[in-house]
Amino acid sequence: MIAQRVGTTALRRVAGKPNAFFTANVAKLGLAQSLSTTQIRPVATQKLSPADGAALLAKQRLNRPVSPHLEIYDKQQTWFGGSAWQRITGATFSGGLYVFATAYLAAPLIGWHLESASLAAAFGALPFAAKGALKFLAAWPFAFHAINGVRHLAFDMAVGFHRQTIIKTGWYIWGASVVSGLYLAFFL
Amino acid sequence: MAALRSSASRLLGAAASRPALRAAVTPAAVRGMATVTDGQQQHQAASGEKTNLKTFQIYRWNPDTPTEKPRMQSYTLDLNKTGPMVLDALIRIKNELDPTLTFRRSCREGICGSCAMNINGTNTLACLCRIPAESNADMKIYPLPHTFVVKDLVPDLTQFYKQYKSIKPYLQRDTPAEDGKEYRQTKADRKKLDGLYECILCACCSTSCPSYWWNSEEYLGPAILLQSYRWLVDSRDERTAERKDALNNSMSLYRCHTILNCTRTCPKGLNPGLAIAEIKKSMAF
Amino acid sequence: MASIARSSLLRQVASARPAFQQSAIRAAAFHTTARRQLLPPLPLNDAAPVPPTSPSHGSYHWTLDRLVAASLIPLTVAPFAAGSLNPTLDAVLCATILIHSHTGFQNIIVDYVPKKRMPGVRKLFIWGLNAATAVVGLALYEFETTDVGITETIKRVWTA
Repeated sequence: MIAQRVGTTALRRVAGKPNAFFTANVAKLGLAQSLSTTQIRPVATQKLSPADGAALLAKQRLNRPVSPHLEIYDKQQTWFGGSAWQRITGATFSGGLYVFATAYLAAPLIGWHLESASLAAAFGALPFAAKGALKFLAAWPFAFHAINGVRHLAFDMAVGFHRQTIIKTGWYIWGASVVSGLYLAFFL
Repeated sequence: MAALRSSASRLLGAAASRPALRAAVTPAAVRGMATVTDGQQQHQAASGEKTNLKTFQIYRWNPDTPTEKPRMQSYTLDLNKTGPMVLDALIRIKNELDPTLTFRRSCREGICGSCAMNINGTNTLACLCRIPAESNADMKIYPLPHTFVVKDLVPDLTQFYKQYKSIKPYLQRDTPAEDGKEYRQTKADRKKLDGLYECILCACCSTSCPSYWWNSEEYLGPAILLQSYRWLVDSRDERTAERKDALNNSMSLYRCHTILNCTRTCPKGLNPGLAIAEIKKSMAF
Repeated sequence: MASIARSSLLRQVASARPAFQQSAIRAAAFHTTARRQLLPPLPLNDAAPVPPTSPSHGSYHWTLDRLVAASLIPLTVAPFAAGSLNPTLDAVLCATILIHSHTGFQNIIVDYVPKKRMPGVRKLFIWGLNAATAVVGLALYEFETTDVGITETIKRVWTA
């Protein structure tokens, strides 16, 4: 590899002069290479103290970009990852609970009605489609979090770590959660 | 090693028709173009031979021109003239199309871990990853995700190695061997190390882990934790308690949320996720 | 490691560029995170620091998390099986969900608001969460004592 790099650099230099490329110089280069046993390095180097080296490295590192990650990693693992959605569904529910509870505490002061009776009445007044949609929007994440939660507890007991099992159960949780979400929303 | 190889190839290289010389000539004509195509394909198509073209899109970034953004560069190769693995393609691109392409490689048989990179979305070793011949889709090759790029496909793994050093990856014991010669181990105890000692520290798993992406300065990541477990279960090691104490904080071990990208990506077929689960289980209560 | 250092150093010397440093931000446009602070400190060959042992943030915390999560399984299944929960169990369910939510949020904060990079923000979030959990605990107590309970409310809304 290094020999080639040296060769290309030399050739590139030669190529700077127009059209003295294939004919004369290649043969010369080959000849020169076969005769000489010392390596030709057309790169200027200089000795560096360890401290200078570290300083240079530190400077160099500041320029380094971070390689792409989420946007290029396997979509199935990043977008449909059970763990990520466990967090999303859980945070949605907990966030909803926190918002509702705080509002419930503040309701008497603001004059809202968040008692169970008024909530049920308000929800009952919605058309069937809206009720079903809202129920599914709540039931699917609930089912997903519950089913995948059990999967995670199994993982924590060091069960289900075969690669194929991980991939399969990773898809099952989606199917199972959608089916149970639909059941909870429309048949309960 | 490198010096040895280069002088050898120089001696061989006296013949003007050697492939390396062609490699040196071709790029001078085509360097700087966004798309570089296989030099021989037109001739082949003309003579009726079959070509099987595949385009490789490769992440490029050059530290000598840090003002330029990282970009994707396309190279098209004839698979009929290329080896079966992605590393073969990369080496051929470097030899024949663009000598500036930079990547690490050494053993080309999956035991050194140098050529770890992100190929078509998954981290793997280029030398163990077949070029899918059946699909015509472009192959996308990136460096290991969320690492600092030294150049092109070469990531900076400094932190990874520093973390490896921090778990003291060597046998620690105070009592001398009973027979004064070697530390003996039952077959059952030895078997516990299977699936752990094979790890080559290629960093594929660690850099596939979102937790490690966000917290690599404190979270150890799957590869290092698998190594940690390798010393925790070693019956000959006598510092198990200290090793566990070193992991017992909020960051080192417990940033693992069993996302399991690690197990799915390991090019050696090991199971870092399981190793971490075993550590957590043994540390519960 | 040494090879990385060497090659980059050579390159540095070979082409000393004056406008070298200002470019980092522009070069970062390909990706979304710029984490300059994460660069591991030199010297290169030192081991990463090992944090002090603290089981209350480590193994105890993890175990408590799992126990709470596991105990939620019967508490979630019971109202489906029995039709509803008695007030005591309903209160237990509320408390368990609250702890589960709290530790879940804690995990999120610890993951995404790293102490090393933004210690102030981390502190703010953790104490904000503590305050929010206290408020929610109070609200749930109110709800459980003055209203019909969480499972019964969900049931009534669901069948409304």
